[in-house]
Amino acid sequence: AEVEETLKRIQAHKGVIATMVVNAEGIPIRTTLDNSTTVQYAGLLHQLTMKARSTVRDIDPQNDLTFLRIRSKKHEIMIAPDKEYLLIVVQNPCE
Amino acid sequence: TSCDFADVQVRPEEVREELTKEDLERSVDLYLTETETIWMLDMPSVVVSVESEEAGRILERNKIYADICKTRPGNDRFVEKMMQTINGPPKNKEVQCDQISMEDKGVTVTSWDLYDSFNVSEIKPTSKAEGARATTRKSSKPHPTTEHHPTTPVCSDTDSTTSPTRVLESAVHEEEERHSRAILTSENFQRDLFFMERILMENIFQPKLAAYRQFPVLTDPDVTSDTGTEAEQTEQGKEKKDKEEQEEAFITPSILSDLNKSLEEVLPPRLERLWSYTCDLTDGHGVSSMAWSKANPDLLAVGYGAFDFKEQKKGLACCWSLKNPMWPERIFRCEHSVTALDFSKASPNLLAVGMYNGSLAIYDVRSPNDAVLMDSGQSPNRHTGPVWQLRWVEEDGGATGEGKAERLICISADGRITLWFIQKRLDCTDLMKIKRTEREEKKLLGMKERKSEALISQQAAGMCFDFHPTDTNYFLAGTEEGYIHKCSCSSTEQFLETYRGHKGPVYKVAWNPFSTDMFLSCSADWSIILWHQDSQTPMLTLNSTTTVVHDIAWCPKSVFVFAAANESRVEIWDLGASILNPVISCPASPGEKFTSVLFATNTDCLLVGDSKGEVRVFEMQNLAALNSDKV
Repeated sequence: AEVEETLKRIQAHKGVIATMVVNAEGIPIRTTLDNSTTVQYAGLLHQLTMKARSTVRDIDPQNDLTFLRIRSKKHEIMIAPDKEYLLIVVQNPCE
Repeated sequence: TSCDFADVQVRPEEVREELTKEDLERSVDLYLTETETIWMLDMPSVVVSVESEEAGRILERNKIYADICKTRPGNDRFVEKMMQTINGPPKNKEVQCDQISMEDKGVTVTSWDLYDSFNVSEIKPTSKAEGARATTRKSSKPHPTTEHHPTTPVCSDTDSTTSPTRVLESAVHEEEERHSRAILTSENFQRDLFFMERILMENIFQPKLAAYRQFPVLTDPDVTSDTGTEAEQTEQGKEKKDKEEQEEAFITPSILSDLNKSLEEVLPPRLERLWSYTCDLTDGHGVSSMAWSKANPDLLAVGYGAFDFKEQKKGLACCWSLKNPMWPERIFRCEHSVTALDFSKASPNLLAVGMYNGSLAIYDVRSPNDAVLMDSGQSPNRHTGPVWQLRWVEEDGGATGEGKAERLICISADGRITLWFIQKRLDCTDLMKIKRTEREEKKLLGMKERKSEALISQQAAGMCFDFHPTDTNYFLAGTEEGYIHKCSCSSTEQFLETYRGHKGPVYKVAWNPFSTDMFLSCSADWSIILWHQDSQTPMLTLNSTTTVVHDIAWCPKSVFVFAAANESRVEIWDLGASILNPVISCPASPGEKFTSVLFATNTDCLLVGDSKGEVRVFEMQNLAALNSDKV
């Protein structure tokens, strides 16, 4: 459907290294990397997302985390968290 | 070892007593009573007070006892004797009990935790519903998976018992699959994907977008940029070599000689290509028209149609947003090639599209599907030739008597300029137009015009029109024969003036937005002509190429500057600088023809559409005329 198309487009973009969709237990639903790396990413990023969300909500409980971006020397990791899943895209921003 | 289900002890679920409303109102009696005194320990004392009654007796007994103790050692009455007792054999008894499992549970209390607990009434029903859904699938078996709700502390604490039986395992997989499918199709996921794509685009296109907005372009110090930023940095000219591969502009020698007189640091004007709006969908279609949205100057509508009008394909109208240059926001598929489009000003969500078969469609860009809002297909007065241009024009007052009404006006190859208005606005299944005031364009072939005749033999095909920028009563219309007529909204049969000068069909006319007596026209006879509205002969004829000029547009910032798209080049002319040659000329790659130009209203950029379906965005740099005031 349109979801598939958009996912494919994102995967095909310039500089995108990996695209992952994992559910709340860390089991990958859709991924372009191998399973072990995906599970590693999922576990680590899940904890980080929890911490980030907890921080945001501690300051104002009516607020909530919508998006998380981590910029490192080599790539940028973008996470769209939700109650049931994590959408993770790793991009290499230099053209 | 396989254990049966019956043996498994499950802690019974605590059943909460449902309180009804009556229970709350019933008066409840509470009784307070005291229990009997419970004796825990009773130790009688061995000390008696001297003043009590028994004191004398006890004193005497004490004295007798003391005497006996004294006489004991030599007395016959006391004999020492020993005895042996029988000790019973000890017996060991063992009792075994189940291991008492201990669980530690701890919760870190955070302020959002407290907040959620108070709002638990909103969250609990959803988790209950999900639990109910899952349990109905497997009738009597417990949950194979525990539900995780990391943000709510009120979790249902059902033990997860995974059974090794095959039946349950397959059910687990199915449940997971269903769950993942549910995730993928959920609205939240689609929305997140949408945002993710836009953010990716922002990352990729950030320097270009910054140049578009005329911000200084910053480079990331950590990132090794190989292709480099597009806009020139004044401090270092480090990536100059990379610009050559991206650039298509070069400077004409006449301008160079002019600029050599000025400072050497001033760079010659050029077109810097920022990006292009293109995708797989639009490949192969030619760009026939482009229009900005009146409400949002970053939203662009582009109409695609087969440029070679002998082969007709299905047309396309796409709305592109600045935030995503790689995929259009809206895609409207049309039956026929799109030849003209325009956004409405009064209702900025309406996009009117004119097509090659003469029909007109109105789309609502707010809806994500490409259903036509209104169509002119059933109208008896519809056009029989391609609609070459359409525009929403604001009329001041006019026939309707109300304030500023906005009307849709089109010109088409069947020789009619028609005015459409929508009576049943919100009805999307009905006809689009009800009444049409015709302005018949009657023209004889090449002869001197005769004044208002009732029957004229033929109608000349109209190609383009433009309303006067300040007085919307007048407009110009260009025809296929090469004549340009100045007409008025009030008289439907006579022209006010005719301008003759072109030898081929006039593809575009445009009033100068500042100096409103002048207008420009371009035609298939390779020339661009500048006219003054009072004189019937051309003021200035500009010939620069030997190809058809498809489109011209005045720059909204300067009185002298305009852009022209002919088949092989895009040219920017600055009439204040030179009338013989364009200031900037940008050639096309072979196989592509430039078909339309559009200036950006809020920035110094030019959009050029070509026959391969690509809309390139160029930034005009170092154009001195852009900074001058209007004359």
